[in-house]
Amino acid sequence: MAIDVQALYESHGPMVLRRCRSLLRDEDRALDAMQDVFVLLLRNDARLVADAPASLLLRMATNVCLNRIRSTARKPEDADEALLHRIAGDDGLEARSLARAALDRIFGREPESTRAMAVMHLVDGMTLEEVANEVGLSVSGVRKRLRTLKERVVAAEA
Amino acid sequence: MDERISQRVPDWLLERLALGELPAAQAEEIRRRLAAEEGGAARLEALRLSNREILAAHPPRVIAGAIRAKNARLGRDGQRERAPRRGLAWGLGLAAPAAAALLVVALSPGVTQTPSAETTRMKGLEPRLVVHRKAGGDAETLSDGATVRAHDLLQLAYVAAGQRYGVIVSLDGGGAVTRHLPAGGTDAAALDGQGATLLPNAYELDDAPTFERFVLVTSDSPFPVETALAAARDIVADAGAATRPLALPEGLKQTSIVLRKAR
Repeated sequence: MAIDVQALYESHGPMVLRRCRSLLRDEDRALDAMQDVFVLLLRNDARLVADAPASLLLRMATNVCLNRIRSTARKPEDADEALLHRIAGDDGLEARSLARAALDRIFGREPESTRAMAVMHLVDGMTLEEVANEVGLSVSGVRKRLRTLKERVVAAEA
Repeated sequence: MDERISQRVPDWLLERLALGELPAAQAEEIRRRLAAEEGGAARLEALRLSNREILAAHPPRVIAGAIRAKNARLGRDGQRERAPRRGLAWGLGLAAPAAAALLVVALSPGVTQTPSAETTRMKGLEPRLVVHRKAGGDAETLSDGATVRAHDLLQLAYVAAGQRYGVIVSLDGGGAVTRHLPAGGTDAAALDGQGATLLPNAYELDDAPTFERFVLVTSDSPFPVETALAAARDIVADAGAATRPLALPEGLKQTSIVLRKAR
């Protein structure tokens, strides 16, 4: 299915840009990241959920931004940004479920990254149920994936 | 960090509500929460205003052109490293619907065998590559020297083992060099930390003869993709291309896995 990128940007681009702005706190980087989200979409068009792409785009934007946060040494300006940096840079966060996630990805089930779910829950303030709805997992599945993070945050704040 | 019910409707759900993409029951619930939230109704209006401002500042025609150009640049970069005579199918990296369909079919759910968890767990302290092959309804992990055939569908993964930046390239017996990671751009990819990280694209082998060699080049510091590509191009036509280490600057590590092509 070919993607009409202009039409999709017109309908969903502002949402993606706002997402990137909120995570990156920098207009130029946000604009660049927003474009990268659409480029990724063009290159992955077989997986586009055609009738309701907002959730997919928001998740893609979250992952693109987390990767950028991870690759920069910018000092966090507030608690939310510090939490984002901790999530983005936490190598152990994905490790526990990595083997499972790898298999799921191989077999096309494509679970959301734990990092993205952590942002949705901890930064965006979504409930576990809301996160579960967005990523297509059970609430217990999301809770399990985030358990490692909870332990790390508690340890970091102790 | 127990589950919390945010009093404020998360922006994520507000965006989906504004776009009319929430299921009916959830949309109704969010509207109810918005009505109870101080300034809730104004948030929807603020979104509409923001949409207009963004589209005025960054017009769709201009941004769509920039996105297409960026996408084309990535495509050209990939093709430039690959001999044009061969019809390589590059999983999601191909824009062609046929290629996309191939991937969707090839990676569809329902297969039963799983690669061993041991193969996706970090071993030792050295970066390494992991290659899975789709085989019927199963997936298998290929060892160095395994025999493969044209049209085998491979899924690459890397274990960064603490290295922060990396590039994955391949060389084949047809003299082609292909970049696999990062998909685009000029700088090495920021690697995911410990454990095995799958690349976003599956990769269908073409009919290049003799061998397919994947090389992971890593470093603690950023480095140009071109460093790895140039080193691969330097040896790809040599007799020892399947085994000879790439000539890389000091500070770069490399590891590779070689697959033998069946006749």
